[in-house]
Amino acid sequence: MTHPYTTRLSAPPSGAPHPLRRVIGLFAAILFLAAAAADARWERIPEAVALLDGAEPRAGALELDLPTVTQNGSSVPLTVRFPESRGENETVEALYIFAPGNPSPEVAEFSLTPALGNGELSTRIRLNQSQPVVALARTRSGDWLAGTREVRVTVSGCITANQDNDANAMQPRARASQRVRTGQLVDVRTLIRHPMETGLRERDDGTVVPERIIQSFEARRNGETILSARFHRAVSANPYLLFHVDPRTAGGTLELTWTEDTGESASATVEVPSAP
Amino acid sequence: MEHTTVILWAGFGIGLLYGAIAQRMEFCLSGGLREWWGEARPRRAAAFLLAMGTAVTATQAAALFGAFTSGDSIYLQPTFSWWVVPLGGVLFGYGMMAARGCGSRALVLLADGNLRSLLVLLCLGVSAFAALTGILAPARLWISGFGAVSLQWVTPSLDGALLSAGWAEAPARLFPGLAVGLGLAAIALGPLGLRKAPKQVAGGVLIGLLVPAGWIVTGHFGADDFDPVPVESLTFVAPIGDSIQYLMLSTGISLQFGVAVVGGVLAGALAASLVSRDFELRGFDNPHDMLRAISGGTLMGIGGALAMGCSVGQGLSGLSTLAVASVLAIAGIFAGAALAIRGPVRLRDAT
Repeated sequence: MTHPYTTRLSAPPSGAPHPLRRVIGLFAAILFLAAAAADARWERIPEAVALLDGAEPRAGALELDLPTVTQNGSSVPLTVRFPESRGENETVEALYIFAPGNPSPEVAEFSLTPALGNGELSTRIRLNQSQPVVALARTRSGDWLAGTREVRVTVSGCITANQDNDANAMQPRARASQRVRTGQLVDVRTLIRHPMETGLRERDDGTVVPERIIQSFEARRNGETILSARFHRAVSANPYLLFHVDPRTAGGTLELTWTEDTGESASATVEVPSAP
Repeated sequence: MEHTTVILWAGFGIGLLYGAIAQRMEFCLSGGLREWWGEARPRRAAAFLLAMGTAVTATQAAALFGAFTSGDSIYLQPTFSWWVVPLGGVLFGYGMMAARGCGSRALVLLADGNLRSLLVLLCLGVSAFAALTGILAPARLWISGFGAVSLQWVTPSLDGALLSAGWAEAPARLFPGLAVGLGLAAIALGPLGLRKAPKQVAGGVLIGLLVPAGWIVTGHFGADDFDPVPVESLTFVAPIGDSIQYLMLSTGISLQFGVAVVGGVLAGALAASLVSRDFELRGFDNPHDMLRAISGGTLMGIGGALAMGCSVGQGLSGLSTLAVASVLAIAGIFAGAALAIRGPVRLRDAT
């Protein structure tokens, strides 16, 4: 005598697919769709959809380095790495960062030139709640790349002082690594003292601190722009940017300029070693 | 080497020394207070007081020579609640008596083979994070809003008060630094009889000196223009929680100074315990003991989160900055310990 359950599980005679296989297939389809939906976060960011204009980005092509959990949403370190390029056409010419859970999703935009050697970029951003951070990049040949990373933001363990040190604002600094190794890029670190007031913060008396941010950053070499960035209010106070320069083609003096939304600007220079 | 790597190795080294010294001299505030107030044997408590005094004087001297800016530490944040900080101290003090040792002592005991401490540490770390960032965090932030005081001094500390009164920096740091440091040392060596225990004197001074060492590592070597690390020194509540979190999430978060110190303490104490053949596995005798470890660890975690530090974090590192909040927290810790030894809610075998 056969047990009813064994009967049901044995293969049907007609050669039709096993019912279990259909269930497994359905699960696999759901998992795949869920994974695809999780990775296609840009579809829910109007600014990103407008930017893509119908193009389909290659999901997972950008590697985002962010902490899984952070207690300090006001300064979350972010690094974006680009896929290895096989020729100048595949290098990235534009990079866009979005934080869809913030009051406004735009974080920063960068225009990059081949002088940067397609090297990684690092900065620090503000996340006001747990959310995915989305990056979109366009290569010189017009392909779109995307990357997403989920960050959990908890309340701060220690209440840090919110000091208004406007007195020191607009002081820039920059440093380039002075060691050149064959075939490697030189890293350039830049920072400017600035409160990056969002226009959302209230003083103790209830009045709103007006918005005041560093709006743009530019790095020039022999008068030619090799990197320009547009910062939004989701870039952390004291905007920090680490980028790379190819010492074979772009060594020498870099002129750096930061511009505030008031129009005021500050500049600095940094010496990038050259390599043969 | 990147400055962050230097700091982690230095933190591990400071932890190694702390662990080894604390294991050899049985450095422990709760045990010391139990012997002092319960059995009239004050020497171990005196060694803790000597460590406090050394930390204060040496830290103020280091800050005066510009080795670091103590004002950047969490103990000197401009606003704190005048009653939540000491209340946290009381919970911590009572909890450390219930658990028979504070967080740092539990690390050393674990390295001695005392498995009871593992439960204390897990409860402490998890409850600290529940209060800092987890389900109790909204309640912590809510009650911390009541009785919040902002001292309008240069920094909310003894030296900050003197600076605001128009003193120059050198006397403003040296006078309270020496007065508190020498005062504590005099009490420890004189009436409490520590001078008859040279090993405890040496241990207390060395542990006290590890506090400015921690400040200099994070505040001097960590003061990178582009990527400054938080200014901190020896402390054990949040770092024990951070260590548990690091075990679980290390691929997504970066290693911090405090976690490196915790690892160093375990390694240093384990080495000392193996060399001196103190290592012996111990466990719970009965469920009541287990309950005490659980509630003691939990009270220390929550109390330490409210008080912004433990017996070492506030008692040594916090006090070394002469912060007003640290003085309140330490008073709370001593009061909590006293409640556990005497008073209407005393623990059965605390004396």
